[in-house]
Amino acid sequence: MTNSRKHRVLPGFGLSLGFALVYLSLLVLLPLAGLVAHGVHMSFADFWATATTPRTLASYRVTFGCALLAALVNAFFGLIVAWVLVRYDFPGKRFIDALVDLPFALPTAVAGITLTTLYANTGWVGSLLVPLGIQIAFKPAGIVVALIFIGIPFVVRTVQPVIEDIEQEIEEAAATLGATRWQTFRRVLFPALAPALLTGFTLAFSRAIGEYGSVIFIAGNMPMVSEITPLMIISKLEQYDTQGAIVLALVMLVISFVLLLAINLLQWYAANRHTQRHSERKPA
Amino acid sequence: MSIEVKNISKRFGNFVALDDVSLEIPTGELVALLGPSGCGKTTLLRIIAGMESASAGTVMFHGEEATNVPTRERQVGFVFQHYALFRHMSVFENVAFGLRVKPRGERPSEKQIRERVMHLLSLVQLEWLADRYPSQLSGGQRQRIALARALAVEPKVLLLDEPFGALDTQVRKELRRWLRHLHDEMHIASVFVTHDQEEALEVADRVVVMNKGHIEQIGSPDEVYSAPATPFVYRFLGNVNVFRSRVHGTWAEIDRAPEPGSKDEALAFVRPHDIDIQREASADALAARIVHIQAIGPQVRVEVEHQGEIFEVDLTRERHEQLALAEGETVWLRPRALRVFQGEQLVDAQTFDLGAGI
Repeated sequence: MTNSRKHRVLPGFGLSLGFALVYLSLLVLLPLAGLVAHGVHMSFADFWATATTPRTLASYRVTFGCALLAALVNAFFGLIVAWVLVRYDFPGKRFIDALVDLPFALPTAVAGITLTTLYANTGWVGSLLVPLGIQIAFKPAGIVVALIFIGIPFVVRTVQPVIEDIEQEIEEAAATLGATRWQTFRRVLFPALAPALLTGFTLAFSRAIGEYGSVIFIAGNMPMVSEITPLMIISKLEQYDTQGAIVLALVMLVISFVLLLAINLLQWYAANRHTQRHSERKPA
Repeated sequence: MSIEVKNISKRFGNFVALDDVSLEIPTGELVALLGPSGCGKTTLLRIIAGMESASAGTVMFHGEEATNVPTRERQVGFVFQHYALFRHMSVFENVAFGLRVKPRGERPSEKQIRERVMHLLSLVQLEWLADRYPSQLSGGQRQRIALARALAVEPKVLLLDEPFGALDTQVRKELRRWLRHLHDEMHIASVFVTHDQEEALEVADRVVVMNKGHIEQIGSPDEVYSAPATPFVYRFLGNVNVFRSRVHGTWAEIDRAPEPGSKDEALAFVRPHDIDIQREASADALAARIVHIQAIGPQVRVEVEHQGEIFEVDLTRERHEQLALAEGETVWLRPRALRVFQGEQLVDAQTFDLGAGI
């Protein structure tokens, strides 16, 4: 409570706090509340039945499973890309750096069609993989590829500034203390990067859960195998089954919220671990 | 463990950071690398640590070639100007780091690590901070932790890169004394880089004065201050007045400027406190007019003008009171000690003639 009485550099704390809350409520909370309020004109048994048909259960698995896999892959390779972009100088670095943002800007449908063309059995990449018995397009693997594509900038762009922030002296200090490269990475660099990496992972993951445009082209959309929940919602709407669509939307909303809340708590824990005793007074 | 640096050169593109530098540091000695920024002192330190590779030359540790040994095998303790502590680790874990990353066979037990870390923390008098994180410490505390961390692995050589550069004067003074004390206990070879002449003169056994990639002079603090080997050392270490003069065999005539470019052109260097002011003319004194008088701490600085140039004279307070000088009056300057250089070369001129002594 003493906090609010502290002198602040920027004025209007109360005003900006109020504005932020109203703004968020209007933009995020209101539509979601509308969804909840509008939704349930059915009994709980009906709701449960609609939400847990084998086909929808399979679609949850595909949606969240592929999103998780893609986010994990992105966290790993995105970290490497960010590291290379910060720490190494090579010709064309600026070009590559600009390229990272492309998935942000590209219409997702374009990405989906392009990836499908590439990975289809007759495409450039697909024709090389099919003889090896690997089929990507029209399989869950295709979904993962599309989600990796749209998620990579989230990881790179969140981790990059943090890597820039790590002084090279830290690594040198670890080396003089006898640490191997791997020990330096695991004990010194990774802990410093972990919170940002987790943020990037979360962003890529949540983006992948909601992704629709690029996935439907490459997924093949086979029920029980490669059909994602957002697509099921759309097809229900197209059949004027608004109620069914809302049920699925609510389920997705709850699962996403729980997952993101869990990750955020983890993140909060990671960020505060090093300053736990911050409130303790420093003896003079 | 002694350090020997032989004919080290380092180039960054076209820039020559170090030009054929050789230096020997025996065990037990605390050596200061002193010079202006960009003189190559930090580069030399980093080459000794193995963080930078030399373009040419060798580094020997205790007679063994170490030029290509990677940093982590060199057993050097390194202290950085900006501490380079691990932010996400507690003070305890920072100090324990070097012990924890040892190969499994050599790694001490948890109990031994605990004892060693607490011992080091008590050595730097910060045991009570063991559970804190670096962000919760003051600059001076951080640097002491950085030092404890460096000492944890029992380095054979301690290297410090401007260790007190980021600290304020009071803390710096205290840490200096304390570094000296610590070094004497450890019995290792220590090298620290500084651009602060006072720091170098106060702490080091030997001072290495560097300029533009080469060594200007190596000597005890007293030697480099009272008998500078080059004009650069004179100018860099403390204040100095420079008089134009010319050399005549074993005679150096102060204040007799020769034609520019002539062979006997020379410069005479006199420290401000090596000049006395007198009221009477004499053959060994120069006439000058007092421009400004200012008391600075224990002494009084008198700025005088002589032939259009300003010179500084430092008098003790007693002497100043005795003379009762006033601004604007004309007095006579008599140097007690001066050294004459022709170019970079010290001239062994025994007798001085101040020329203008009318």
